[in-house]
Formats: sequence, C-alpha cells, structure tokens
Amino acid sequence: MAALLEVRGLTTSFATESGTLTAVDGVDLELAPGRTLGLVGESGCGKSVTALSIMGLVSSPPGRIAGGEVIFEGTDLLKLGAAAMRDIRGDRISMIFQEPMTSLNPAFTIGDQIVEGILRHRPIGHEEAKHQAIEMLRHVRMPLPERRFDEHPHKLSGGMRQRAMIAMALALKPRLLIADEPTTALDVTIQAQILELMRVLRDETGAAIILITHDLGVVAELAQDVAVMYAGRIVERAPVDALFSEPQHPYTIGLLGSIPRLHREVERLPAIEGQVPNPMTPPPGCRFAPRCPFATEKCRREEPPLREIAPAHWARCWYAPIP
Amino acid sequence: MTLLRVESLVKHFPVRSGFLGRRAHVHAVDDVSFDLAGGETLALVGESGCGKSTTGRLVLRLIEPTAGTVHFGGRNLGELDGRELRAARRDLQIIFQDPYGSLNPRMTVGQMLDEPLMLHGVEPARRRERVAEVLRVVGLAPEHAQRYPHQFSGGQRQRIGIARAIVVEPKLVVCDEPVSALDVSIQAQVVNLLRDLQKRLGLAYLFIAHDLAVVKHIADRVAVMYLGRIVEIGTKRAVFGEPRHPYTHALLSAIPIPDPRARRDPLVLGGDVPSPVDPPSGCRFRTRCPHAQALCAKEVPPLEIADGHGVACHFWKEIAPPARIASHVGADPNERLARLQAAFVAK
Repeated sequence: MAALLEVRGLTTSFATESGTLTAVDGVDLELAPGRTLGLVGESGCGKSVTALSIMGLVSSPPGRIAGGEVIFEGTDLLKLGAAAMRDIRGDRISMIFQEPMTSLNPAFTIGDQIVEGILRHRPIGHEEAKHQAIEMLRHVRMPLPERRFDEHPHKLSGGMRQRAMIAMALALKPRLLIADEPTTALDVTIQAQILELMRVLRDETGAAIILITHDLGVVAELAQDVAVMYAGRIVERAPVDALFSEPQHPYTIGLLGSIPRLHREVERLPAIEGQVPNPMTPPPGCRFAPRCPFATEKCRREEPPLREIAPAHWARCWYAPIP
Repeated sequence: MTLLRVESLVKHFPVRSGFLGRRAHVHAVDDVSFDLAGGETLALVGESGCGKSTTGRLVLRLIEPTAGTVHFGGRNLGELDGRELRAARRDLQIIFQDPYGSLNPRMTVGQMLDEPLMLHGVEPARRRERVAEVLRVVGLAPEHAQRYPHQFSGGQRQRIGIARAIVVEPKLVVCDEPVSALDVSIQAQVVNLLRDLQKRLGLAYLFIAHDLAVVKHIADRVAVMYLGRIVEIGTKRAVFGEPRHPYTHALLSAIPIPDPRARRDPLVLGGDVPSPVDPPSGCRFRTRCPHAQALCAKEVPPLEIADGHGVACHFWKEIAPPARIASHVGADPNERLARLQAAFVAK
C-alpha cells in the first residue's frame, strides 16, 4: 500500500547561546494508512521534536528545519506556506498532547472549542457543528456529553480532559493522529481507560497514529510498528513483535532489559550505565558507543548507517544482526 | 525488630469549598496503620490523591497528624520537643521525586552534604572525609563536591539527593517517588543503587510509588492505598501473587505489559477517583468496584489480617482475581536476549 506519510532525512536544529543543537538528525519514517507507529526513546532523544516538525509547529527562531522532506498524501509539508499548513492541521492531521491543558483553552467551554475547530474547516452551520461535537464527545465515551459540552476544562477530571482533547483532535476524522505521550500524566487505571479508547478509535476511524512515548508497555499495547530513537537518530525500526523478541540494536536490547517487570524477578536490573551524550557535542562514531557493552574501535570511529537486516527490520549498528 | 510503628494515623486538611466558603476537609489519610522492621522495605502504592505522600510526611513529622501516633525506635515522635525531634531526624531521612526542585541551586554539592553533618555536630575533619566517602558510595566522584546542582544530569541529581539522605547514616529513608521523574535506563541505575545501599547500610525504606513494577522489584512488603485508606497489605509475594482486594486486581491488571504477545484483556475500571473532600460512605472504592453490594455503602470494611496478609473488603473471599493477572504469557526473554542483556550487568 502507498505510504500515507513518508519522512526522509528530516533534520531539525535549534540555535542556542552555545551553538547549534541538532535535535533531530536525518530521520526516516514511513507510515501506511491505518497503521500505528510507536516512536520511543528517552528524554531529549528527539521524538517530540520529530512530531512538531511533521506538524509544522517548530517555532522559528530558535528552531529551524535544516533539511529533509515530510511527504503526506503526496505533498511535501515542508514546502507548504503557513496558511496551507493551517488548513491541513486539525483537519487531515491532528495532534494530542501529554497535558490536555496545552491544547484546551481554559476560557472557553469544551463544546465551543470543538465547534470552533469544525467551523474552521467545514462549511456547515453552527447547529450542525454542535451536533457533530456532541457525537464526538459521545464517541470518546465522555459521560453525559450534552452537559460536558457546556463545561469549562477545569470542571473536568484529568481523564475527562484527555477525552475532550481526543474528541477535538478526531472531530474532523483526520487521516493521521500524532499522540505525544497521551497517557503519561494519567494514573494507571485512567491510563487503561484511555488506551482502551485509543484502541477502539484506531479500529473504528482507520486513522494512522504516531504514538510518541517513553513507555515500552504502552507501545506493546497499541503499536504495530516501532521506531526507537537515541540522541536524535533512529537506531532501530521494526514490526512490534520483532522489536520486542529479536531486538537488534544494543540500545533497544538494553532498554528492554532495564524495565522492571511485573512478571519477572531479577536480582539486578541490567541498567544502561552512563548517560545520553550532550547534543551539542555528539560522539564521533556511533552515538550509543560510549554506553554500549559491545562497542569496538570501529564503533567509536565511524557512525553506522541504518540498514535493513531482515524484511522491514532496520538497525543502525555495525554488528547487526547480533547473534 | 520493629523500627517504625504507625497507628491509626489520620490527616484532614481544611479547605474552603463552594462560593459561600463553607468549611470542609480533605480526608487525605484516614486510619492508616502499619509496621516496618529495620532493614526492610515497605512500599506504599496507589494513584494520585490516595494519601501515600501525606503518610510519608506524617511519618517524618514534617506535618502534624490530626490523630494517631508514630513510634520510631520505640519512641513516640509526637511527644518529642523540637530539640529531641531534630536529633531523631538523624535516623529519619527523605528522598524526593524531583531531583532538581529539592536541591538548593546556590549551594555546592559539598556544602549540601556538609550541612546535615554540621547540624548533627560532626567534627570538620571527619565531615570532609564523610562527604567524599558518601559521594563515592552513590557513584559520583569526590571532585563533584565543588559543583552546583545545575551541572548534573537528572540521574546524577537524584544520586545527590540520595547522598544527602544517607550522609548522616539514617536507619529509615522515606523515598517519595524517587525514580518517577527519571528515564527508564537511568531509573534502573538508581533502583540498583537503592538496593545496594540497603544491603550495605542496613537501611529501612518506606518506598512511596505509583509504579507497581518498580515496587515489585524493590519492596519486601506492600501496602495498597485508595482515597486515604490502606485497602490491602502484605508481603510482596502475597499482594502480587494472590491479590485479594478488587482495587489491587484493577491496578495490577491496568499496567501496560511491555510485551506485545501478552494477553490484552485488562479489567478497565470505569469512572474517576471520587473527591477526598466528600469520600463515599462505607467502602471508599465501592463507586468504581464491579463487585459492590448494598453492604459496601453502609459499612466501612475493616482491614482483616490473616497470615500477615490484610485486606479491607467485605467480599474478598468471593472475588477471583482477573485472568490477565492469573495467566500471563511471554514474560521471559528468550535465551539470546537474556544473554545479551547480561552484558549490560557485567559492564
């Protein structure tokens, strides 16, 4: 199937007092319609900046898309003007955030905000838009949708705000939804509700999803494909089963080992020692080499390319596939 | 031997509610009791607003209880005067969640570690030695004493927070979500460090956390809290292996399992946690409990303890744990993955 989204060589940098910081460095991604891609990595790996770059939401200055292409439904979004991008955003592509209050305006009711979004993109009357908004609130399992329509965000619990934001994002049936840590701020029982909701909506709407998270549990629950980022680069990309059972990049292997598991007892967690390199001065070779127990001289000298080592399984390691 | 005994602890915070400013109370902690032995880890788990952090602060007497007592090393902390309490605090320390907010940005790490030693009257020469020693113990270098908190990464700052807590050689450390703000790979480093320190120094931990997988890794015993009350308490094996309370069932079942082959039929609880200003009558969990009956609204279920495993539910004997907890597949890594991951331990 033709890709819905193709990202090639995306590079985003920020000007800082002490020089240029390249947060996203040559990222390639591909997403077919209706698929869910988990984009995982730790703080500062560039996963959120990748999403903001796709959405055209990197503030410039200090940010700058230094290179690459973001081809969505055949159009390179990076070449579109601000007005054309605003037409796509909220309609064909929309986004939900970790903290619902970043996208909900505290001064307006939930209903007004959803209606405003619909009217911005559709030539319909206010009554019809209101009807669609209430349907959408019902769709995200908001309790008492008619009443919530007239309520302000602060009257809602965290879980309900998350539902309201999802309703707003999905109101125009986007083909691509970017969800940036959608359950991270929620308690575990509420997280289970939202994950369940996202699973149902994914199957019902057929929207493709980029799910950005640091939580490999959330990825395993929802994603079909996974891309792992480290220090601005994609280090591994694979279907979800292969990534969890046959990971090929040492960073992925270490990351999977360092999560404490409910169903497994270990004396010591295999932690990845050391810390993420300073993005101002990435190491010369493989960016993970300083923390990698398998690193050799070659790794410290030359950076490996992202290679396809099995069908649909890509790894950025000289020694992949690792036996 | 019992190091800490908490009995019938209650904390109500006054709030104004409604536009007439009617006086009301947040029932943050309601009738909480537990013991903790020297060298042991008891985890307090639960979601936001369950009272776990308030309980931790009550234990340290950072806030005063509305009712109830805390005995530490046989002495009632509530009866100590200011000087005696300060002396007792040498044995009672705390590590906070936010490794940045809890460190003074204007003090060097050395000054920060020196201060508690000075307050407890340790000789200057011995203090310098001790600061260097404790920095090494938490995996930093003695040279780091000259630096300021902003010069460290999140994981290193949490090591500083830990160093500050253990520098006076306490017997009990209250760990309030000590790894929640850290990335997974760094979290594992800090969890390993906490376990090493416990073995080496014989520390007891009151470990407050919402992440049950971390708790499973570090705790000896676990108390599950919901809206200010303990609903289940027991050994780790009992609470995780044979959970009795329907809330514990829901919590365990709700955790996303980092394995795509695992079964996906979580017991999803409906609704939200009710307001602690006006908690439900009877059992506080009844408004979200799939097994609630008429009795649950009338009577508060007592914490019934049998074989050291306590549960506060009228009907626990009749409720089976959900399937997802009972039959989990795909928990173990394959042979290749286990071997490769072992390289990270060896390094």
